[in-house]
Amino acid sequence: MKVITMDPKKCVGCRNCEMACAFASSAKSCEREYSNIKVYHHIEDKLVMPVTCFHCEQAWCMQVCPANAISRDPETDAVCIDQSRCAGCKMCILACPYGNIHFDTEKLVSHKCNLCEGEPSCVTHCIAGALQYEEIETYVDRKRSRVDTIIGTRVKHAEQE
Amino acid sequence: MSELKTYKSICRMCGEGCGIEVRVRDGKVEKIVGNKEDPVNCGRICIKGSSAATWVNLENRLTKPLKKTENGFVEIELEQAMDEIAEKLLAIQKKYGDNAIGVWKGEGIGFAQNEELARRFIHAVGSPNYFSNDTQCYAGRYTAFNLVYGCWPQADLRNSKLVILWGTNPPAAHSYWTQQINDARDKGAKLVVIDTKYTEIARQADIYVNVKPGCDGVLAWGVIREMLERGVVDYDFVEKFTLGFDELKAYAQTFTKDYVAQYCEIDGEVISQIVDLLDAARPHITSWPGTGLEHQQDGVNSVRATTYVDVLAGAIDQKGGMLVTQGMKINNLEIYDEKPLLDLKPIGADTHPVLYHMRKECHTLELMDQILSEKPYPFKGLVMSAANPALTNANTGKVLEALSKLELLVVKDLFLTETAELADYVLPAASYLEREELHYNAAGHYVFLSTKTSDKGLQTEYELFKGLADRMGAGSYFPWKNDHELNEWLIEPSGLTMEQLQNNPSGVRHTEIEYKKHERKLAAGEKPFNTPSGKVEFTSEILKQYGYEPLGKFTYVPDYIAKPDAAYPYLMMTGARKPMFFHGRYRNIEQLRKAVPHGQIEMHPTDAAKLNVVTGDRVRVTSRKGSIEIDVLVMNEKEIHPGSVQITHGFKHENVNLLTDDDVRDPISGFPALKSVMVNIEKI
Amino acid sequence: MNIVIIGNSAAGLSALQAFRKHDQESHVTILSKEGTIPYSRVLLPYVLRGKLSYDKMSIRTADFFKEYNAECIEATVTAIDPEKKQVICGDTVYPYDKVLIATGSYAVDPPIEGVKQEGIYHMWTKKDVDALAPCFDRCKRVVVIGSGFVALQAAWAAKFRGLEVSVIELMSRIMPNVLDVKGAEILTQKIHDAGVALHTDTVTEKIEKLPDGSFLVHLKDKEPIAADFIIVGTGVRPNTQFLENSGVIVERGIPVDCCMQTNVSDIYAAGDVAAGPTTFGDQNMIHALWPTAVEMGQVAGINMAGKSFVYEGSLNMNVTQMYDVTVASMGKFNDADIARFEELSSPENGYVKVCYDAQGHLIGGCVVGSSEAVHLLGKMRPLIRKKQRIDCPPEKIEHYMEVETFKSQM
Repeated sequence: MKVITMDPKKCVGCRNCEMACAFASSAKSCEREYSNIKVYHHIEDKLVMPVTCFHCEQAWCMQVCPANAISRDPETDAVCIDQSRCAGCKMCILACPYGNIHFDTEKLVSHKCNLCEGEPSCVTHCIAGALQYEEIETYVDRKRSRVDTIIGTRVKHAEQE
Repeated sequence: MSELKTYKSICRMCGEGCGIEVRVRDGKVEKIVGNKEDPVNCGRICIKGSSAATWVNLENRLTKPLKKTENGFVEIELEQAMDEIAEKLLAIQKKYGDNAIGVWKGEGIGFAQNEELARRFIHAVGSPNYFSNDTQCYAGRYTAFNLVYGCWPQADLRNSKLVILWGTNPPAAHSYWTQQINDARDKGAKLVVIDTKYTEIARQADIYVNVKPGCDGVLAWGVIREMLERGVVDYDFVEKFTLGFDELKAYAQTFTKDYVAQYCEIDGEVISQIVDLLDAARPHITSWPGTGLEHQQDGVNSVRATTYVDVLAGAIDQKGGMLVTQGMKINNLEIYDEKPLLDLKPIGADTHPVLYHMRKECHTLELMDQILSEKPYPFKGLVMSAANPALTNANTGKVLEALSKLELLVVKDLFLTETAELADYVLPAASYLEREELHYNAAGHYVFLSTKTSDKGLQTEYELFKGLADRMGAGSYFPWKNDHELNEWLIEPSGLTMEQLQNNPSGVRHTEIEYKKHERKLAAGEKPFNTPSGKVEFTSEILKQYGYEPLGKFTYVPDYIAKPDAAYPYLMMTGARKPMFFHGRYRNIEQLRKAVPHGQIEMHPTDAAKLNVVTGDRVRVTSRKGSIEIDVLVMNEKEIHPGSVQITHGFKHENVNLLTDDDVRDPISGFPALKSVMVNIEKI
Repeated sequence: MNIVIIGNSAAGLSALQAFRKHDQESHVTILSKEGTIPYSRVLLPYVLRGKLSYDKMSIRTADFFKEYNAECIEATVTAIDPEKKQVICGDTVYPYDKVLIATGSYAVDPPIEGVKQEGIYHMWTKKDVDALAPCFDRCKRVVVIGSGFVALQAAWAAKFRGLEVSVIELMSRIMPNVLDVKGAEILTQKIHDAGVALHTDTVTEKIEKLPDGSFLVHLKDKEPIAADFIIVGTGVRPNTQFLENSGVIVERGIPVDCCMQTNVSDIYAAGDVAAGPTTFGDQNMIHALWPTAVEMGQVAGINMAGKSFVYEGSLNMNVTQMYDVTVASMGKFNDADIARFEELSSPENGYVKVCYDAQGHLIGGCVVGSSEAVHLLGKMRPLIRKKQRIDCPPEKIEHYMEVETFKSQM
């Protein structure tokens, strides 16, 4: 299964992802409010974090939607909102523990990441390489190799001393 | 039946040249995504890149030449336009002299062969007056680097162990660098960012230094002093390959930690921390000075001081250091050897001789003065290829006055820009997606051949210059039938074929990368560096030749420090880009404009408190040159230096260049001090 | 195994889906008294408002039951016989090994003279909508009795459709189960601003039907209000009438344990009908909320499939958009139930209140403002459930929750 992974150590908050998503979603604007991915900047903590839907295995938004407007795409496993069914009750927004469902104030329906049919625009616009669309295994391997490098360096240092 | 074709090409929405994949349906560009096979940007592009699919298809794209009449613009045929333009250029030359005309290469159409074609054309028709936007961005740093080690280097970011960014913000200005810097950080590299603004890239910096505007040179000298003191110096390199080390050592003594801390309004300990990082990472150090330094009165010398740091650390032409790159061997379009035309007084060559020496480039600010004064000779006709100085050159008031005084202004562009509106003739231009062109990636030694992905039947740059030259009796300089033939001729000496390039649209490495070429050259008895002395010149022979101080001393103190004026208590910086725009461009792409619909003045909260304003309030900003009204954006206290404000350029209704000085300049490069404009701010 | 699920809404459907994850073999029968195509009562005000078309009220197709290998039968259950393990629908009998009672609730009529007449409706079932829809199209004036979540949504739908709307509330404030006093005051103002005549502290004495078919609602110490039709929204009660003599204990609802098991073995209950554990340690509480019903149904479904799954307790949550503002709440937010709170209100986000208990655990909050502010409540949900302390000073909670966004344009 492929997922979008987010690395706060690489994100610079350039917000190309937001603009790209907004344009992909709205076909008319790069304004942040249309975007399904949001970059959060906590300047005091020196933290920049892009956040978008994790497409949870147990997607509470999908289970709780009283309009049955949220379903899983069989191709990409994306949790998707059918806006023609959405009543705009915002239950999904309240249900999401990550703040990844947003409200379209014009159409009065919810919107969220749908993985752009398997070619997520946010990722292809991430000029910092902070976003990846990858198999979970690849992500885990990469994380591990980073840890391996750190351990390796420490061992090398210890040997030298 | 709709037919989808995909082409690999190179993005030219800014100067970086990222690899793109262009999806074309029924001859119309439908979508642009990153080219995953491109070795430079690895499939990732910024929003400008993908928005080009909207841009090239905008309804108000120019398709027919326009001629200005008493009743405004009327459409005419291309042949008629070219005939009339050529005739008028010849008439001006006949009446006022060969040098009364010039050509100005802008960046709205592309960045590849335009420059060489424009230079070739204007010399071919007998005038030395080639202008470009480079005299406001790039040529100052080009000069500085070349003075020190004889090249325009490239930072080998991916292999670097320490990246130092001086007044540059890759996410907005060099998008793919961001990825490369992060690749290096993945492998343990550290990042130092020195900037008056807490920029995007600063958010990931290991050390961020919020230096006072225009004082980067002082900080660099502080770092140099500490390197010398602690022996963080590649003495072997310095001894073999440098000139003026003793002068450098002597001068550096002034810059004690306390002195630098006080002058730059920073914590002096960061100097030690930076030197710690330099020591740990050397020689795999990349450092890049941006326009933050270049747009200061001490621009060239500040940039030189930063390169001294790299030199002392032994980073020159090292893997993961500052590469002395080798360009592809191609035929040269420029004809300066054949027709130097120096006797015809290239504009600005006398006032900024070092710039002309280095760049063979006339000076756009001098041009405005000369059009108005007609001294030392009249200048009457200008052909511009997609430049928009009415919005982007310093001192807009003067620019408008000067351009309006021309007898002939020709502007070639994709859209009717602010400058095109002033023109006598406007020629519609083919975009980078509508012509065949060679592109290079300097750091990676890659060459790319882009193809016509769609054809709107619009004139290319080559066709413009060939067309005019043919009509002006200089056709022999443009013997190639079209762009393709030209490109074929260009690559002849490289050993590569057009087929090879066509078959490898994601790039071909034209030359293997070789490090430490100076060592090989020294052994072979060649000049190790392309400077007069063949060495890395701390003290420049060229500057000495033109009567300047040879060492890159902190000489040209910004006016706001040296000659403060109580009437203009704030320091205004401009030129910090937004990721979705490129200078004056792309506000006409609706989706991008909506993201940042208007200009704002960015200020420190203490200044906002003093002015009693909050975000969204309107203020009047006044300089010695003019005044604008603009909305306030109050930044976090960490994001900007107190007392300094920033206004991004390129907004028509909040045109910051109405404020900028064209007469406060770096005496070496002639660059306007766009990042230390003294202003007053009032709430309205 | 024979599984019978009584009820075809949130709890019943989620029980079926959860059950089938663990048991693909057993025979499942769903008994529904409201037709075999499930609909969602949450959507009723949206349909009346015209936001959603009538057909979108249905939330599953017939194929859904095929996909889940279940049989959905329209039938009204009259009794359960735990001895014989049978569900009885008049003459028809359905044997069960395990049965889930997910019969939901019905809207109650308040003790007002004349409340049961043609032209006076609830807004609780599809049938109510069928009756109300022509009134919304045809009539000019409506009186809504009650000012709870459902009543105010009904009033908003009517206002949205251009009707003249009056709301009568017995108590001094609106929506005590959804908002705290201050939030209620803000919403009250919004309701007034929207042009709805809201009368709190008002006793409805009598509803008089006039000869022309319209109504006059008589109020204590106040002028009567004329209406073309009336909507009553004064609360709901569990549907438990058929459980008489079944041995299943019925209090206000059916008390269930943390596995949704009733006092009688193999009889489970979930949804509006069930009184279950809450995240705050209450043993038997009825929420009558959609999300609680979904969760309870899941717990019941898993346990009925033979897997042990303990409910972590329900956490009340409400949200809707009405009167051009988002109204949302979660957990505890009334001053009597909390030790401390932070107000994080702002011009952009509106009224936002975050509440703590004496130990500093997050226990709830409410919002009358932007949909962005709802993110904060959403992010709080797992923290409330895990009884987590927030390791940052209260004034930074917003920041901790990452709702702080770029204040600047770029």
